[in-house]
Amino acid sequence: MLETRNLTKSFGAVHVTRDVSLKLERGERRVILGPNGAGKTTLFNQLVGELTPNSGSVHLAGEDVTALPVAKRARRGLSRSYQKNTLFDGLTVEENLGLAAAVHTGNATRLWADSLAKPEVREIVDEVAEQVNLMPFLHAKVSEISYGVRRQLEVGVALATRPLVLLMDEPTSGVGPEMSKGFHDLLNNLPRDLTMLFIEHDMDLAFDVADTITVLNYGEVVFDGLPEAARGSRLLKEIYLGSWEDA
Amino acid sequence: MFRHTALRYTALVLLAAGALFQAFTAEYFGLEILTEILILAMLVLALDIVAGFGGMVSLCHGALMGVGAYAFAILSTKAGIAPPVAMAGAVALTGGIGWIIGAICSRSHGIYFIMATLAFGQMAYSYVFEAPIFGGDDGLGGISRLDLSIIGVDLNDSRSFALFCLAVLGAIYGASVLILRSGPGRSLSGVMHNEQRMRALGLTVWRVKADVFGLSGMIAGVAGALAAQHILYISPALLSWTVSGEALVVVILGGLGTLVGPLVGAAAFVVLKHELSAVTTYWHLVVGLLLIAVVMSRANGLFGWVEARWGARIERRMADATRKQQPEEVLSDA
Repeated sequence: MLETRNLTKSFGAVHVTRDVSLKLERGERRVILGPNGAGKTTLFNQLVGELTPNSGSVHLAGEDVTALPVAKRARRGLSRSYQKNTLFDGLTVEENLGLAAAVHTGNATRLWADSLAKPEVREIVDEVAEQVNLMPFLHAKVSEISYGVRRQLEVGVALATRPLVLLMDEPTSGVGPEMSKGFHDLLNNLPRDLTMLFIEHDMDLAFDVADTITVLNYGEVVFDGLPEAARGSRLLKEIYLGSWEDA
Repeated sequence: MFRHTALRYTALVLLAAGALFQAFTAEYFGLEILTEILILAMLVLALDIVAGFGGMVSLCHGALMGVGAYAFAILSTKAGIAPPVAMAGAVALTGGIGWIIGAICSRSHGIYFIMATLAFGQMAYSYVFEAPIFGGDDGLGGISRLDLSIIGVDLNDSRSFALFCLAVLGAIYGASVLILRSGPGRSLSGVMHNEQRMRALGLTVWRVKADVFGLSGMIAGVAGALAAQHILYISPALLSWTVSGEALVVVILGGLGTLVGPLVGAAAFVVLKHELSAVTTYWHLVVGLLLIAVVMSRANGLFGWVEARWGARIERRMADATRKQQPEEVLSDA
């Protein structure tokens, strides 16, 4: 469903990603691990088109999308959430979800209709709000909801475009343990045919949700395999997991 | 996103009632002032759509109005086209030019967007000023008003023309609300709040900006065609950047991004201008001081200030009502 071939990006002499090759099958849930500065978010930015790689390619559902701009990749089914909330702050939760659903259904550019009142948009808004537990907050403005609920909305906005592949950059970043557990359930309850790639520092969540794990270090893939194998990898313990395993 | 509130409906009713009262009771000079307010209100509604709901602060809307005025004048006088068709042509032309300006400027933001629109406006001004077909500095005369005799209305009568402009303004206000609630209008609001996210969701941002800028240009074109019919003479001064600047002052004075506020601003600005200019030639100083006071007060214009006070009062009342209700609910649960 999503594939990268030898994706390389450097800023001057600093190589941020080197020859990163990944292949995600339909419905696969893969977690990207790695220490700070490993190139995880830069990889995401290249996948969605916010950064242009120096070399290599990105393929979505068999199509080479490397040359496509951000909006076109999104319309082909690549959606992302951000590590820092990137929401429409002055608007309500319902309007946030509605804007995304309107883009997906083609109502965002239609002049002769209220895009948020269209039945197909309403249907997506209600369904996504249910999926990410936002029903009680639909009419609240973003500025009126808690940080944790905003993280849910961040994922919800990405989901409202009905993506083929959902990229999530640290969805539980900054939330407490209780909220983090809620995210376990939230992610596990998403449709099984949705392909998900996410960056996560919460190891419990990562090993609970992931089908496969990729570890980046200094921009290179140093591990690519099953969670069980990741737990037993000595290399991973040295570069990343040591403190977690010992704990 | 645009929302009608009880306060906004009330303000609209009061404004319409005031305009109707003026239209039926005023003499010639009062009717001229009313028409001036109504035409300025159309221009500032056009500007509020792009600046207040899209963050596109334009300094070319005066020029767009001028293009509408000149297009109507030339089509109806020199090309001999019937005035209604000439007006439709002028509106379509300004819409098209507005769309092109919006498309080109859509990739710039903030001060760069302002400067780019200013450049377009000044290019139009210079061209109209220099090109012989537009009459140069002398401008163009011989313009006639629409002929509505078929429905028994003589627009050469000041009262009828003022009422006609009021009806057009009402239609434009309705159209503005529909635009803001349409797909492009709501998307533009999303773009203003977070352009990067809208792009990441799959929106072609430049296209939405261009579409709404084009629609706004059409409204400016209507204002221009009516301005030409009001004075029956047009000059390049209509396209000057100062007209755009004045429109921006009116929008900020009234309340950016409220639709109703700019209507209040237009009325306040024209009345102040006429009243103060009768007393002093330095009336701009007073308007400047008022604008500074509005900006420094951090209120969103005159109407925004009223809205903030009204909104706070409603919130307090609702909070009080909730507090009173809660103990009863607890008792009934028990």
